[in-house]
Amino acid sequence: MQMAWKEVKKSKMKFLILGSIIFLVSFLTFIISGLANGLSEDNAALIKNVPNGQFYLNEDAKQTYNLSKIDVDQQDKLLADYNGATAMSIQMGFVNDTEDKQHSVAFVTSTDSELFPNVKDNEVVLDASLKDEGIKVGDILTNNQFSGEFKVVGFTEKQTYSHAPVAFISMKNYQEIYRVMEMQTVFIPGSDSPDSIKGLESFNNKEFLNTIPSYGAEQMSLNMIIWFLVVISGMLFAIFFYMMNVQKIGLYGILKAIGVKTISLFSMMWYQMLLITAVSLVLSVGLSQVFSMVAPAGMPFSLPLETSLLLSGVFLVIGFIGATISGFQIKKVEPLQAIQQGEM
Amino acid sequence: MAIFTIDDVEKTFKSGDVSEKILKGVDLALNEGEITALVGPSGSGKSTILTIAAGLQKATGGQVLFEGKDMTQMSQEEIRKIRSSEFGFVFQSSHLVPFLTVEDQLLLMLDVAETKLNKKQQKQEVSKVLDLVGMSHRKDAYPSSLSGGEKQRVAIARAIIHQPKMLFADEPTASLDSKRSKEVMEIIRNLTKTLKITTLMVTHDEEMLPYADRIVMMKDGLIE
Repeated sequence: MQMAWKEVKKSKMKFLILGSIIFLVSFLTFIISGLANGLSEDNAALIKNVPNGQFYLNEDAKQTYNLSKIDVDQQDKLLADYNGATAMSIQMGFVNDTEDKQHSVAFVTSTDSELFPNVKDNEVVLDASLKDEGIKVGDILTNNQFSGEFKVVGFTEKQTYSHAPVAFISMKNYQEIYRVMEMQTVFIPGSDSPDSIKGLESFNNKEFLNTIPSYGAEQMSLNMIIWFLVVISGMLFAIFFYMMNVQKIGLYGILKAIGVKTISLFSMMWYQMLLITAVSLVLSVGLSQVFSMVAPAGMPFSLPLETSLLLSGVFLVIGFIGATISGFQIKKVEPLQAIQQGEM
Repeated sequence: MAIFTIDDVEKTFKSGDVSEKILKGVDLALNEGEITALVGPSGSGKSTILTIAAGLQKATGGQVLFEGKDMTQMSQEEIRKIRSSEFGFVFQSSHLVPFLTVEDQLLLMLDVAETKLNKKQQKQEVSKVLDLVGMSHRKDAYPSSLSGGEKQRVAIARAIIHQPKMLFADEPTASLDSKRSKEVMEIIRNLTKTLKITTLMVTHDEEMLPYADRIVMMKDGLIE
């Protein structure tokens, strides 16, 4: 350990460069992870806030909730048979405020449920983000598909869907706007092993998120970038330590000649890897948390500390693997070869 | 009395279908506290026999007995333990660790040799040995700031700090000028005599031979 630390102290610039690269890559990973989380929240907070359970869609809907229609009789039976079951629908739309300014929303309606606000006819409960657009309790909103008016009766926190704030309305109002009697899905909470229901297909919460158009593609792209960066950082470790080890082959040979154990040389490399990674990660976690606090309000950014710590763990494991792979050269070093190489 | 015996040692190098016998049955006994100089023309096998004796490579045949134990039958780990605690090495180049100070180079060797000294005793030992090689004033210096002669003195100090029974020196003065070579050889001789270290040295420099107790001539893989 001491020898490893002494090398870091003596060759500050070399380790500073590696540390800076790890810091930048990990910081970028945290920021993209924050954006991925933020976009995911923005896209599907409505569903993510629902407790675990099963969403049932019509089998003919081809796993797309937009196309799903649950037969009214079947819906009534399900609601009667399953405690806490909720039928619901979501459709994109818009409302006009008193100044006739248009606001995109996701209209959500449901049967009586503890999961969503209970809204009376001609009333609307909006996601709080619409407050920033000047809407307040008591305002009257309109929609050109709706004959009446919506009175804003309250706001709810973090209820967004498909990057739009949610507008909870009554089932009667929803049916008028979209000219449908059937709901799109029935949610049954808490069932880990879904009951097979004739004509319906079940999805757990995670699977249901993927039925949201664009959600899967968006998350897949961002997650690919994140894991790509994690793999790149592992490769950086492997390459950097490989280069360092190549430079130190002679030294390792001499150390082996005088009796230093191979495991001690590996430990030296691991200690250096851990030190550089830990310092870089502490800095990038700290800075990304600061960024999370000062990020512009409109930017979908969410980076819980647990996510940062989880990714940090992955970085440490990847760094360890990268450094260890490059360290196989140490095992192969022959003392004699090093002695014959001359001065290091 | 022989502390180290090389008995009918052979070494054959193979490269593809071609094999070349470098050592053809070398016999050599080293007496305790004696400096033995191995001399001979290039390719005679003197460096090969030194590295086999030092446990740095395996013989193809024969025995290498250190204190009566056959090193050719030992595992790599057993040989490593002997190298770290019982042997000392001085090479043509000093091979110091570039990021350790002079003092740290010696402390490292004490750690590697697993001596039972505590930190304070280790520092005292380092100070004593640096005095012996005349390098006390440079104990905080890094190798990059030392002259060739100074580096070699530190290498000698590192080789003997753990009080080994054997010292293997492969052309220890080859990279030094005549004056510094003599200084280094004086140090090796004084230390090995004081500490009763048995020394096997390879050299091609005839000026160094007066420092040896015994001169062994090698030619064509055999001792003449």
